[in-house]
Amino acid sequence: MTNHWIDLQNSDCILMMGSNPVKNHPISFKWVMKAKERGATLISVDPRYTRTSAKCDIFAPLRSGTDIAFLGGMIKYILDSNLYFEEYVREYTNASFLVNPDFRMPGENDGIFSGFIGTKTDEGYVDGKYDKKTWSYQTDENGLPKKDPSLKDPNCVLQLLKKHYSRYTPEVVSRITGTPKEKLLPVYEAYCKTGKPDKSGTIMYAMGWTQHTVGTQNIRTMGIIQLLLGNMGMAGGGVNALRGESNVQGSTDQGLLFHILPGYLKTPKASQQTYKDYVDQSTPKFADPMSANWWQNYAKYSASLLRELYGAEVSLDDAYTYLPKMEDADNYSWLMIFEQLYQKKISGMLAWGQNPACSGANANKTRQAMINLDWLVNVNLFDNETASFWQGPGMDPAKIKTEVFMLPCAVSFEKEGSLSNSGRWMQWRYKASEPPGEAKPDADIMSDLFFHLKELYREKGGAFPEPIQKLRWRYGPADASGKLHHVDPHLVAKEINGYFLEDKIINGRQYTKGTLVPSFLLLQSDGSTSSGNWLYCNSYTDEGNMAARRNKSDPSGIGLYGGWAWCWPLNRRIIYNRASVDKNGKPWAPEKPVIDWHLNVWRGDVPDGPWPPLAQGQKSRYPFIMLPEGVGHIFGPGLADGPFPEHYEPLESPLDRNPLSPQFVNPAVKRYDRGGDSINIRSSNDPKYPFIGTTYRQGEHWQTGVMTRWTPWLVELQPDMTVEMGSDLADELGIKNGEIVIVESSRGSLEAVAVVTIRWECFDCMGKRIHQVGLPWHYGWATTAARNYHATDKKPELFTFGDTSNLLTPNIGDANTMIPESKCFMVNVRKRS
Amino acid sequence: MDNMAIYIDITKCTACRACQVACKSWHQLKAEQTRNRGSHENPPDLSAHTWNRIRYIERVKEGHISWKFFSDRCRHCDPPDCQFMADTYLEGAVIKDSSGAVIFTEKIKGIDPNEILSSCPYNIPRYDPETNMVFKCNMCIDRISYGLQPACAKVCSTGAISFGKKDDMLKLASTRINQIGGDATLYPGEGYNTLWVLPDKEMLKHI
Repeated sequence: MTNHWIDLQNSDCILMMGSNPVKNHPISFKWVMKAKERGATLISVDPRYTRTSAKCDIFAPLRSGTDIAFLGGMIKYILDSNLYFEEYVREYTNASFLVNPDFRMPGENDGIFSGFIGTKTDEGYVDGKYDKKTWSYQTDENGLPKKDPSLKDPNCVLQLLKKHYSRYTPEVVSRITGTPKEKLLPVYEAYCKTGKPDKSGTIMYAMGWTQHTVGTQNIRTMGIIQLLLGNMGMAGGGVNALRGESNVQGSTDQGLLFHILPGYLKTPKASQQTYKDYVDQSTPKFADPMSANWWQNYAKYSASLLRELYGAEVSLDDAYTYLPKMEDADNYSWLMIFEQLYQKKISGMLAWGQNPACSGANANKTRQAMINLDWLVNVNLFDNETASFWQGPGMDPAKIKTEVFMLPCAVSFEKEGSLSNSGRWMQWRYKASEPPGEAKPDADIMSDLFFHLKELYREKGGAFPEPIQKLRWRYGPADASGKLHHVDPHLVAKEINGYFLEDKIINGRQYTKGTLVPSFLLLQSDGSTSSGNWLYCNSYTDEGNMAARRNKSDPSGIGLYGGWAWCWPLNRRIIYNRASVDKNGKPWAPEKPVIDWHLNVWRGDVPDGPWPPLAQGQKSRYPFIMLPEGVGHIFGPGLADGPFPEHYEPLESPLDRNPLSPQFVNPAVKRYDRGGDSINIRSSNDPKYPFIGTTYRQGEHWQTGVMTRWTPWLVELQPDMTVEMGSDLADELGIKNGEIVIVESSRGSLEAVAVVTIRWECFDCMGKRIHQVGLPWHYGWATTAARNYHATDKKPELFTFGDTSNLLTPNIGDANTMIPESKCFMVNVRKRS
Repeated sequence: MDNMAIYIDITKCTACRACQVACKSWHQLKAEQTRNRGSHENPPDLSAHTWNRIRYIERVKEGHISWKFFSDRCRHCDPPDCQFMADTYLEGAVIKDSSGAVIFTEKIKGIDPNEILSSCPYNIPRYDPETNMVFKCNMCIDRISYGLQPACAKVCSTGAISFGKKDDMLKLASTRINQIGGDATLYPGEGYNTLWVLPDKEMLKHI
């Protein structure tokens, strides 16, 4: 979230699209309902009428996988009717920048942007990637982008945007999305009212936008709308991702994903063999001194991270060599891990707090791949479909060699620590009870593993022992041998914040060795500071543990609650907040000011940098400080699949062509199905699989249900795998409400209870009647009544029925993130014979 | 104790069912093995172990889908028919507390359960053969007596369930009915200690 949960109450219009917050983020509705009471318009756009839709003023249905078409139509609507916030767009975005005249867009270039290198097939381009040379600005003699503040130059970003989306007329959009035109326009009309300077609109999105081959571009489209309407930085505005777990924001911040290190630093590449190369190539340069270009501080943050990992005894250059490097052209995403495992290139796996046998796309492939493991360590609260994969459906235990270890771990309430919520708030929480039996906090298990590995390296040597041997591990009191037996979460939090490693004078002020660094503004590139995550520097200082603060006062008047817990960066509750004021520092929305320039200081939220307002010239900085240009990206050259979002069909589509262009699927995605292995099969526009399938969550279960399927009160509410379908479809198939049916894709099949409802209507796309069905993914065979329980297997108090919907989903990922396309794929539904 | 009431504004209910689970959690009512019967509503009925149940009401209203959620539970009638009937057998088996809560005490074992069940005009109480007792919502008498809210009101995040002095709750309901307009209505009426606001009178057919 650029904003935070409470801030939803400040919105004048809330679009809920790609999310179903009533069901999946129920507490958010406390704030959404407050906005509604204040007079906000609530809009729900979803393939079916949901419990969220039931609380909204406007509902519009859309075919899964067509969000870019829907929102592209909104961009056209904004531009055609001049509803954009002109001053904001001109001053705070790259709308006026002139683009390379060689840049070509899909409407004039066979459905793709200029620069694609790949293979052309009868469904368009595949197996390649973009050379982004033409996705660039025209520059002047000083290297600065050329601009046309009148926004009229045909090569300026705004005019290119207009040209690109001129193809997205309401008629075309309606034919793609299946949204009737009369339901499309009220959404555009209501949302675009927030283009007025004092109004703000916000988006609540979740996996409904991300889990597509165009997932990142779905969000980009909304980012463009938010910039056009001047909603970024505003109270009640922003782009708000509703994260799927209480601490998924925190885990991403701390570098859980393969392509980032803590604080969104980049994972080193194999071609970056020296620290200097790594820093040089990771630090963006931009000639305009009015741009803060915050990432120019990269070296301060990377040096501080290396110091946290290896201490001052190891030089930064050496410490860098200890970091793992990615092969330049490779990725190490979830889908690739299981592809490698399937190809027998991985022999051991730690499944830590995860249940891949149910959670990963194409679960049959995942389960088959695990047979290739020599060993598997399952760290979890309960046995699950992963730990017991060898006794799952279709498995012959006698033929499976894998040795499985179960390490019981503590649940969140059984340990102290912090979590960071969707609104970037780091909140400290305390231990409520002891973990049962041998269960330990994850950090203690990791610590034991570390010391064991270190000992093995000491005893037996190894190819490259230093990265382990020299790792600094100051997370608890050590015994005489240097080993620690319990990780102290406060020490971890302090290491994440960072220390001064030597006495230092900065801007005339003395800082003492061994004290905590009060702010990332003081982190150094010379190795004199440490910080496990620069974004969290300021979270645990000599003033104490900021995340544990519990001050309930709200001097801001807009619900910032700056004294409650702590929020990155620097306790800034709404990021890009310098865009919420005009050039003189006066709030666009005086009724709900985020910051305002008063008596030569900023008051309100922590501003995005201390500089004075833009009217003060060179002393000031542009508002979008994290981007090199300092302004919002309407033209976004950073992504793998295009600077403007373009509609492509999902990998599996009910249509025989892309209604917009000859390019069927996003050309920049990695296609597994083209290798010929039947495990990666794709079935698009195939009469055997005529219906669109989608997956979603139930409010009563969490993730693969490893915790909730063992919670009887929740199983009672949602005991069974279901498939929701419209009554039209059920009538056509002769299916009765409540009947158990078979749902199958080309990759797998499952049994589910049919939930037949008027809430799911048939779509008319390109003159074709298209049905869509939906399935939750929380279920698994391990807690069912039908399975075989050995004497030592724990039986649940209440049984569930059915297995995960990931048995049906395809292993294809987004072109940028590799998140699987679990939100649209083709299935068949039939009666059980 | 003041005369209290639970007030439920169903226009604010999102069917998160936190109240249904909180009821089970506070009263330690056991979970029932259920099946999905083609609806997200579960368990299928009120029972000795389920005293509050969210009903999902799906209908077409003026050409649009309408999906409303109704928390079905004891109306805490004032005066209660169940008490009137019980008193003819055994005084103290059913109590109308000064708080407004209608309480079934252990003495209820001494009364033919069918008499209790048939006395309720809203079909709320349920018999438990294991304990030979009849059960229903008791307004969390063991919480409200100590100044706490009932468990359902405590966990309601959207403000659909409130608890307070009955006069105040009636005022809230009346303001809300005016805000909604149309034929929004109070249900069942003023002579109860559980009060619902329904968005339209047609809802009465479904509850």
